[in-house]
Amino acid sequence: MRKLKVITLEDDVDAVVRSLDEAGIVQFIDMREKVEEWNGILASQVVSTEVLTKCSDLLSKIDASFENLGLKHEELHSKKIPITKEPIEEVLAKVEQNLAELPVEALTKCSALTSRITQLIEILGVKPEEIKEVILKKPVEESLAEIEYELSEIEKTAETTGLIDRHAMVDRIKTVAAREEIDVHKKLAEFARVRIIESKPFFAKRLLTLKKLVEKARESIEAETKLGKTHESLLTLRKIVEIEKQVAEEQKKFVRSAKTIYFEAWVSEYNVKEAIERITKVTAGTSIVTDDPPAPDEKVPIILKPVPNYLIAFEKLVYSFGHPTSRDVNPIHALAITFPILFGIMFADVGQGAIFVIMGIILTLLRRRIKLEEVGDIIQYLLISGEMFVFLGISSIFFGFVFGEFFGPSGLIHPISLGKIGPFYIGGFEPTHEPMKMLKFAIFVGAIHISLGLVFRFVNEIRHKHYKLAPIPICWLWLLIGSLYMWAYWRGISNISKWFADGSLMLAGLIILPLTFILVFTGIAEGFMEGVGFSVEVFAETLSHSMSYSRLMALGLIHSAMNYLFLVLAGVEHGYFPLASIPLIAIGTLLVMIIEGLVVFVHTLRLHWVEWFSKFHTGEGIPFKPFKYT
Amino acid sequence: MDPGFISLMGIVLAIGVPIISAAITIITCGTALAGIGTEKPELLSKLIITVVLGEALAIYGLLIAFMLLSKLSDITTMEAANKALISGIIIAVATISAGAGISYNGSSLIGATAEKPETFSSNVIGVVLSEALAIYGLLIAFMIIGQI
Repeated sequence: MRKLKVITLEDDVDAVVRSLDEAGIVQFIDMREKVEEWNGILASQVVSTEVLTKCSDLLSKIDASFENLGLKHEELHSKKIPITKEPIEEVLAKVEQNLAELPVEALTKCSALTSRITQLIEILGVKPEEIKEVILKKPVEESLAEIEYELSEIEKTAETTGLIDRHAMVDRIKTVAAREEIDVHKKLAEFARVRIIESKPFFAKRLLTLKKLVEKARESIEAETKLGKTHESLLTLRKIVEIEKQVAEEQKKFVRSAKTIYFEAWVSEYNVKEAIERITKVTAGTSIVTDDPPAPDEKVPIILKPVPNYLIAFEKLVYSFGHPTSRDVNPIHALAITFPILFGIMFADVGQGAIFVIMGIILTLLRRRIKLEEVGDIIQYLLISGEMFVFLGISSIFFGFVFGEFFGPSGLIHPISLGKIGPFYIGGFEPTHEPMKMLKFAIFVGAIHISLGLVFRFVNEIRHKHYKLAPIPICWLWLLIGSLYMWAYWRGISNISKWFADGSLMLAGLIILPLTFILVFTGIAEGFMEGVGFSVEVFAETLSHSMSYSRLMALGLIHSAMNYLFLVLAGVEHGYFPLASIPLIAIGTLLVMIIEGLVVFVHTLRLHWVEWFSKFHTGEGIPFKPFKYT
Repeated sequence: MDPGFISLMGIVLAIGVPIISAAITIITCGTALAGIGTEKPELLSKLIITVVLGEALAIYGLLIAFMLLSKLSDITTMEAANKALISGIIIAVATISAGAGISYNGSSLIGATAEKPETFSSNVIGVVLSEALAIYGLLIAFMIIGQI
């Protein structure tokens, strides 16, 4: 990411912004907050409200024309808008003039006539037939007036003779005839002979001719104006006004002296050359452009790389906490691995995991057929998370085998041990029967998770070139693993008196020494008092964040216990599921998967957001959004 | 007193009080959430964390009550009954404190996030730390039940 600093003449600035807008490669920096730094040399650029009002005014006028002409408001893709060098005011004036020249009124009349004729044709049930070429004999205005006159005459005749609704007319004649004692059949025969039978074909042909005439009039109106098709020109005008409005809005971020404008903008390394070329070309060399790397501690917008479909849900989880700053590790990929693991430990179950996998596959398949914009919020989230459900399900199945759970501790599957590291058993026990083993396992997993976060922190410090701060995560890792080792070595916190007596050397080496190093390194980088504060913070965080992972055990037990409740109610014993138990198990599974699943999900999220992200991911990054007409 | 009655009192505390705290939390945060939903519905998905963490308090109570219930036939001595009662009291106190923390911090978090969404990541700390209080209580209550 590079920072462009541009000084340009006041007259050129509109064209510069337009040109950069077209390329869509820079993000302007808001300079208003920095105005005070220049001690009055530069003032903020004031965009006159007149321009903005005029833009809105023109836009509403164009929209009204659209509505009057019954045209569709579609996007204009094909036509490219040339970049002008004129100031905004002149462009807008030109647009206004063009708009006035457009024969909107005459065309509106044409549309109205066409719709009246079409209506009449439909009512009379006229069949379409070929009409020979017609010619407008008089000027367009006069012809239209004549057509309108004739049309109203036809309408009048049609109404009085009952052409419009023959049945209603016949009914009326019948009632009148009955009242006046006239022979109904005679009257009807007379009526039919004189009016309907004779006049209908004539009217039909005339109406079709009139329709053709109106079309002809429309064509000749459009041919007279130089702007081409009215629809297209209206769309073009609309786009021009929208661009100008955006250009004016964007200029609020700039600062100015009497005759020059100064602005800064972010641009990615690949596009620096193009941006500079565009500016120089538009200003014909009368501008000063420099590009600098960002200052070491400056907040630089980050270009977010698009992730594959199966990671979108995890991307959302990370970004709803905050975006990574530039050069930071982006935790999406790591989160896509750790998130399902932590979820699976709390939601360990072979059967329910399999349901998650099936659900995930169905959602993924559905997503290809359903348009995301057409469905509600919750369905949209579910569809996006299709692949995530598959991940979570696979992890649940895995830990279901490890802890021996199939729709709860039903006894169908026996726990499979994956090994033993020191006092930490990895699987091979039932959490409900041996909760202390589960607690140790939870803390162990937590320590690994936090260590991963600390490694990322180290990478971040190196990437930011904070070499003085880089040893801190290493010392922190030392402290974390050291205290875990002490906890394991002295068999828990209950023997804490031994930590200080027999294990005093170990205590000094594994806990006091790294804390001292943290104090010293922070002290060198940021000052002694900060060092003291930070090392106390590190000590407290190491303790409380590791303890926090005990929720892996608590929620795992809750999951197991809730399932057990339904197993007992349904009468399942020693892995034997009687047929009558299945409805009850189904209800229980549904409840557990919805309520408990949500709670477990949020707790997994919380472990990542608070305990894990606090080590390396501040979430203070700004995504790079280049200024572009949309 | 009868050990059976005392341990039943423990169960009452373990299920009743967490449910009340969860209800208070959901009432405070849920109403705040509903208000924000009309203004900025896009924030709802991440602010729902306050309500779900409130709901989790009731589940902690449920777990302890359920474990006590399964041990009810083993409780014959006064010592065991006292342990059952104490574990009920611990989870009750822990969830009440966590509930108070989440309801105050949660409703403020919701209001603050609506005004300035970028403050979410630092403000959410208050909510999750309050919630951690309940976990501490849960762990200790759990260990006491393990000794019955």
